[in-house]
Amino acid sequence: MVGKRLRFESKNPTEFVDITDRLRDEVRWSGLQIGRVHLQSLHTTLGIAINENEPLLLRDFERLLERLAPVGAGYQHDDFARRFDIALDEPENGHAHCRQLLLTGFATLLVEDGELVLGRWQSVFAVELDGPRHRQLAIQLDGQFGPPRAKGAGSTELVDLELSRQLMVDPEPVSAPMRRLVEAGGKRLRPTLVQLTAGVGPRTEPLRAASLAAAVELLHNATLIHDDYVDESTHRRGRPTVAAAEGPERAVAVGDYYFAKATRLIAEIGNRSVTSTIAEALEAICASQIDDVALRGAFPGDHDSYLRVVRGKTAALFAAACASGALLSEASPEIVDALRRYGDLVGVAFQMTDDMVDFSPSSGKPVGLDIRQRVLSLPLIYAAEDREVGPEVRRLLAGTLGDEEVGRVAELVTTSGALERVKGEAHALVDAAVHELETIELDGLRPILISLARSAVDRNA
Amino acid sequence: MSAVNVVTRELERLEGLWEDGLSDAYRSYLDAVGRFETADQPRLALAAALIEVGVRLQGLGSRAAAAPTLLMGDLCLARSSRLLADAAPQPVQVAFARAIEEMSSAAASERPAPPTRDLLLRAFEAR
Repeated sequence: MVGKRLRFESKNPTEFVDITDRLRDEVRWSGLQIGRVHLQSLHTTLGIAINENEPLLLRDFERLLERLAPVGAGYQHDDFARRFDIALDEPENGHAHCRQLLLTGFATLLVEDGELVLGRWQSVFAVELDGPRHRQLAIQLDGQFGPPRAKGAGSTELVDLELSRQLMVDPEPVSAPMRRLVEAGGKRLRPTLVQLTAGVGPRTEPLRAASLAAAVELLHNATLIHDDYVDESTHRRGRPTVAAAEGPERAVAVGDYYFAKATRLIAEIGNRSVTSTIAEALEAICASQIDDVALRGAFPGDHDSYLRVVRGKTAALFAAACASGALLSEASPEIVDALRRYGDLVGVAFQMTDDMVDFSPSSGKPVGLDIRQRVLSLPLIYAAEDREVGPEVRRLLAGTLGDEEVGRVAELVTTSGALERVKGEAHALVDAAVHELETIELDGLRPILISLARSAVDRNA
Repeated sequence: MSAVNVVTRELERLEGLWEDGLSDAYRSYLDAVGRFETADQPRLALAAALIEVGVRLQGLGSRAAAAPTLLMGDLCLARSSRLLADAAPQPVQVAFARAIEEMSSAAASERPAPPTRDLLLRAFEAR
């Protein structure tokens, strides 16, 4: 059973709001295969109807309601002198209550093969009788569920289209290297988080969400291009880095271009809270990069320094992606804050898992790349602190790191139990992230966000 | 909060740059921000100065800086972006981003870019 609220705003005093497509989406996102969708109006002047969406017919219905219960026809409900405990802004709406009595306040729709069962001409309407207002319907989906389709299903394509569109209009010297990087893949976790959280609040606009998600992905890739130059990395996602392929000067320019372009695209969305959220994250990323490089002098560092750097370098953009999507959808501050904390925790857990992947022979990457590049890594920190293998790990890390030394350090890390310790810590962070979701209304998104958090740590590549 | 306090607070981790051209750039941009709210003027002038100094540190359009210096330049651009998000009207935010796009596109194409200061002063005029 999945329960949630379907929210919308009516624009007119009487209005037939067609909610059929939204209900179809809810069924698809929930994974309900066979069962029922129960709908219930949460208002006394909002009805539910199933009928044909033909504009002239809807006008006929409105006229019928007007004839049966005209406005201002001497309703006792509108005689405020005879009523108790009425609000200062109580409207004269006896007609709307009476009209609602002629409709219904609840409905049950059938679902088969993962789709709503509706006749060719049938549409489902929420019928506003006293608008314009903010409205909500309670819905419950009940039956046999299959795997849910992500709420962004179809919208990942939107982000890819938006990325392609943006890269198409850019000058070739900057767009070609970025296109290679974008097309090489990547997990697209940050844009996915933007799109998911952009469906949490009352204002759902897939195109704006896709635009923000694409900008966040461009920003992330821009930081990677500079990172690769700083880390002297030769490959990323199986392809030569921009710095390695085209030189550091090009890498600096391409990174700057897409940093600027992404911030422009975000500014053009026109939501100041979103712009500030992303800008703060970017600042945290850059500050942490400086700390990261500085800490290489004290390699492998300690747990506190590690967390401080990872919170900025990785988790800041995860948190900002979650918060900015929610802000775009005009979610409440409590929801935005909870999602921000969720993103922060998932981001740290994601980085810890990335650190472990460096020691996995099945990752598709050479084992020990982080050791060779002296990159901050929690398994290394734990192995260096270990009573048994620590002295040897520290001695090896203090010297020149050739193939033999890297192999030996990787072996010591693997045998020390450091990987299990990091894995436990990453899973605990995901549990904490899931806990953040328990206190807020997420409009049915909770299972997908939980699944995404788990997938961030249950991987070996 | 006084302009001095604003600038001091926003220079965290970048203090060393103040005597290395940032203060001169800041003062020159102060003349261009008169049309904005008084409280926003120091942040806007500092944002422009940080871009000017940031791209110079990075070596944009010339020889790429060594890693630690590049990262300082990145932090200058990021700080500037946050200051603009906090204090600039949307058209000015967009104009500043376009100015950096123009500079970096020219650098990637190995052609000369217009002088940074001219580009940024023009960005303040966006409405």
